[in-house]
Amino acid sequence: MNGPHDLGGMQGLGAIPIEENEPVFHSEWEAKVFAMSFATFSTFFPVDETRHAAERIPAGEYLSASYYERWLAALELLLTEHGWLTPAEIEDRITHLRQTES
Amino acid sequence: MTIETSNQCMTAAAAKALLQQGLSCQVNSDLPPQFQVGDLVQAKVVHPATYTRLPRYVRGKVGTVMQDHGVYVFPDTVGQRLATKPQHVYSVRFSAQALWGQAAPASDALYLDLFDDHLEVP
Repeated sequence: MNGPHDLGGMQGLGAIPIEENEPVFHSEWEAKVFAMSFATFSTFFPVDETRHAAERIPAGEYLSASYYERWLAALELLLTEHGWLTPAEIEDRITHLRQTES
Repeated sequence: MTIETSNQCMTAAAAKALLQQGLSCQVNSDLPPQFQVGDLVQAKVVHPATYTRLPRYVRGKVGTVMQDHGVYVFPDTVGQRLATKPQHVYSVRFSAQALWGQAAPASDALYLDLFDDHLEVP
C-alpha cells in the first residue's frame, strides 16, 4: 500500500537522531511489546502480515509514533482482527492496570 | 485465506532459537527465473492497497539485474495470507539519476531486492 512507511524520496522529515550507546530498549514496556509480538511471529501471524498491520496505522499516527508503539498497534490490530481479543477487552485491561498500578 | 498458522504458543526455547538463527524464507525449488543477470528490467507501475515490497519511487523505472538470489516466498501475497507463491529474487541496480533525476551524482546507484512479480520486460 502507498502508506506512510514508504518514505523513500520524502523530504521535510529532518535529520535522523543518532543516539550514542543506544540501548536495545528505552523502557521496560518496549521489551514486553517485543516479547509479545515475537511470540506471535510465524506461529499466529506471518511476519509480513505483521509488517502490513503496522503500515495500516493511520498516516498521522504512524509518523508520530515511536518504533515500539507501532509494534504494539500492529499487534493489537491483528489480535482483534483475528478475533483473539476484542478492543473492549484491551481497554478493560488498560483500565484495570491503571487502577492497580497507580 | 490459504496460509494457516499453528496458533500454538511459542516455547521459550523455540523463541530463543528463532531469535538467534532467524527464519529463512528461501524455498528449495528448481523454478526457472523470469530474468537473467544482465537483463534490463522495468519495475511495474502498480498501486496495490495490500502489502508490497515494491517501493513507490522505483515503479516504472528501468534497472539491471545484477544477481539472482534464488527462490523465496513472496511477501506481497504472504502479507495477505493468500499464498507463499515462491519466485526468484534479484538484486536490481537502478542508477541514482534514473530514480532522482540529473541532479543526482552520475556514479551513484541503488540496489534493490525485487521479486519476479515486481518486474517486467521494458
